[in-house]
Amino acid sequence: MKPEEISKPGEQLVDLNPQNFATLPPPYENYKESPVAPLTDDQKTRWEHSLDGVSALTLPKPQTPEEEEKLVASFLSGLEKLMTKENNWTFMQPLMLSLEYCAKCQTCADACPVFEASGHKDIYRPTFRADVLRKVAKKYLSPGGKILAGFRGHDIDLNWDLVARLAELAYRCTLCRRCASVCPVGVDNGLITHELRKLFSQELGIAAAEIHEKGSVKHLKFGSSTGMTTAAIGDIIEYLEDDIEEKTGKRIKIPLNKKGAEILLVHNAGEFMSWPENPMAFAILFDAAGIDYTISTDLVGYDAVNYGLWYDDVQFARVAIKHLEIARELGVKKIVIGECGHAHKALSVIADRLLPGDQLIPRESSYTLLWDIVKSGKIKFDPSKNDFPVTLHDPCNAVRLMGIVKPQREVLRAITPPGRFREMTPHGVENYCCGGGSGFAIMSSGNFTDWKIKLSGRKKLQQILGAFQGEMDPELKKMVCAPCSNCKGQIRDIMETYEVYEKTGIWYTGLVEMMVNAMVEQEQPFLDWPGEDEDDDM
Amino acid sequence: MSWIQILTYLCGAIFIVGFAAKLLKYATMPMHVRWELYPIPHEGKHKSYGGSFYEEIDHWKQERHKDHMAMYMFMLPEILFIRALYEDNKSLWYWSFPFHFGLYLSIAGLAFLTIGAFLQLLGLPPATAIGSFVQSLTILFGVVGYILGLIGVVGLVIKRMTDTELSEVSAPIDYMNLIWLGAIFLTGLLVWFQDPGFAISREYLVSIITFSPMKAQLSLMHYLNLLIFLGFFAYFPFTHMTHMVSKYFMWDKVKFDDDPNRGDPGVDAKIKTYLGYPVTWSAAHIDAQGGRRNWAEIATTNPWTKKEEK
Ligand code: SF4
Ligand code: SF4
Ligand code: SF4
Repeated sequence: MKPEEISKPGEQLVDLNPQNFATLPPPYENYKESPVAPLTDDQKTRWEHSLDGVSALTLPKPQTPEEEEKLVASFLSGLEKLMTKENNWTFMQPLMLSLEYCAKCQTCADACPVFEASGHKDIYRPTFRADVLRKVAKKYLSPGGKILAGFRGHDIDLNWDLVARLAELAYRCTLCRRCASVCPVGVDNGLITHELRKLFSQELGIAAAEIHEKGSVKHLKFGSSTGMTTAAIGDIIEYLEDDIEEKTGKRIKIPLNKKGAEILLVHNAGEFMSWPENPMAFAILFDAAGIDYTISTDLVGYDAVNYGLWYDDVQFARVAIKHLEIARELGVKKIVIGECGHAHKALSVIADRLLPGDQLIPRESSYTLLWDIVKSGKIKFDPSKNDFPVTLHDPCNAVRLMGIVKPQREVLRAITPPGRFREMTPHGVENYCCGGGSGFAIMSSGNFTDWKIKLSGRKKLQQILGAFQGEMDPELKKMVCAPCSNCKGQIRDIMETYEVYEKTGIWYTGLVEMMVNAMVEQEQPFLDWPGEDEDDDM
Repeated sequence: MSWIQILTYLCGAIFIVGFAAKLLKYATMPMHVRWELYPIPHEGKHKSYGGSFYEEIDHWKQERHKDHMAMYMFMLPEILFIRALYEDNKSLWYWSFPFHFGLYLSIAGLAFLTIGAFLQLLGLPPATAIGSFVQSLTILFGVVGYILGLIGVVGLVIKRMTDTELSEVSAPIDYMNLIWLGAIFLTGLLVWFQDPGFAISREYLVSIITFSPMKAQLSLMHYLNLLIFLGFFAYFPFTHMTHMVSKYFMWDKVKFDDDPNRGDPGVDAKIKTYLGYPVTWSAAHIDAQGGRRNWAEIATTNPWTKKEEK
């Protein structure tokens, strides 16, 4: 399908046929895949879904031709703003380079997990949305753009169909940037998705509700994207202390707002709600290693996420600046980022050139610090306590996009018996995204959940199953270590849908949970396997 | 001075101005936020698995070490042999490699021809040892380059037409560009048949260098080759075939730019300028007030607490 076809009027541009989806390894070789759940008739009349029958944005249909025209005009003016330094100094150079230089070789297509999983649907090609944007820019925004547009290959019609489909298409890419790492001329189609989302959000106010209204807005309003308020966080921390006592027999104080502490530890607040063992494990390890740290209960300060990274530079900056400001006020020497891939990249890499150097505070990955703790010998580990096969998921944001590859591996090797840890294929900087990247892990509007599990998460499921081939007996427990809150969310959803634990015995956890499980001091097992504990959230 | 000489100067000037404008356009864009992608070769050999300084505890306290040699060792095969394509898209590489390599060789041939012209002006024509050596190199690079380039063009055109994945995204202009280059290679080869030592071509270059009338008579094939080449030369800076520009900027300034901000005064000054840029994004939550507020103002305002923060 040619990118120009995106403007074709019609109910739905492509149908997703589960028979074309990439196949899964045993024991799923004969698994009968079901179609992506269709929207109800009522939903169809209300929401735009003309791309692939999926609605991630629940974008309302314009009611009048005038409204349509206005939206199309806004889109074009947004595109123009993306190409000005005043409005887009943050990303203008890589965007303009990526828009200008595609050599149309399609090398990137084979690198994309979504394109592959879909059975090579053209609309999911990394170049598809980039091409549409490129063609619109050339035809409508460059001088003489309409002359010989057909011959020059950019004769595309800008209409509401195009805009509505492009808005949805901006949410069919996880921003994993695997495509960018193979492009022979350096074009970054992941970046183009990112910029497209910014255009929609910053100009038209269109974004996925879970990452905007229920995400970054809640973060700035209540203190956390989970909605957890500054008033509640203190209580939650107290519960954690109780739970730690129950699990370890030891009362540990989690330091709050401690001025002059060495480290400000920031967690993805989703952990407090969904996987409290993760912040608990951090507290146990930091206590045992004698680390001087604190957690903030200030607005925004107790939630490391920064959803703006995925769709809006302004929301991004507001949150990042708040994180840094809180650290400065506390007078800490560094901020340590918990197990959250995108928070790693947001605060360490992207925020790095947002403020002058004197307003920055050093930021460090928890993976690096954890490895340092292991190396220091301050905590004794007994690897035999983790005597089960383990594989490691590489969160793209911390690995391909930040180069933190080794520490988490070294930690795993130190806390598991020899031969128990095995890599996925491929891994490290060549890894595949869990499929929950760029906000997908938390997005669940319309029928999007089904799409993200069956399509963007498919490659990860293949990889996880692949890592344990030959050991599929459900009685043999196996673990995926995923040191990222979002990745865990996505992996949890995939596992539920495909009943992975029941069929194969594969479960998932974070890195610190496995570390505490291996601590010599820790008498009872710290890890929960499904079915063992009444209140696990399987 | 003949019309073809005037045309040569004109096309040369368009090329230089066009290409410089292109470089300048990208070079003067604001420093963007970091957007690197690993592996980054200058992180050094011990990080060959794609690691970075973020793997070191208190990385900001450590001396930053960039392994420039590793960087060159990475870029050389990347540029010469198009390694990315070799690794990830071999069926295209079979044609793209001879095409690009042929192009490099014929450019090298042209460079030797120019050196030969200068030597001739210094009284060292091909009859002398050094002149003859340069002439041999001119012929070797030029002819092998033309042949490889031609093979590449034919292969690429066929591949682009027959592979639906590629034909769907290809426009007439893409074929035209390839065929245009193919015509340069082909006529170059035919010139060589007529002028095996490129003597006439060298004479022509001498006349261009010295701004003087031509001594030798150009053949029809010389004219044809020159016209096709000059047209392409002037057209090239305005096309996406200048992707060596993106190769430089996207690698050096984007994918491999992992320099942490340690308060360098130059970087600070830039950031301060950018934060002063007025914002005109229209969405309500930005609250840009049509350009009345700048980045610093909107980024330090939390509209949901309505508290102005510094
Ligand atoms: S690999 Fe790069 S140049 Fe090739 S089609 Fe993809 S984006 Fe374009
Ligand atoms: S960033 Fe990832 S998901 Fe998006 S197009 Fe590239 S490879 Fe595909
Ligand atoms: S959710 Fe995890 S794997 Fe997926 S993009 Fe984010 S960090 Fe990467």
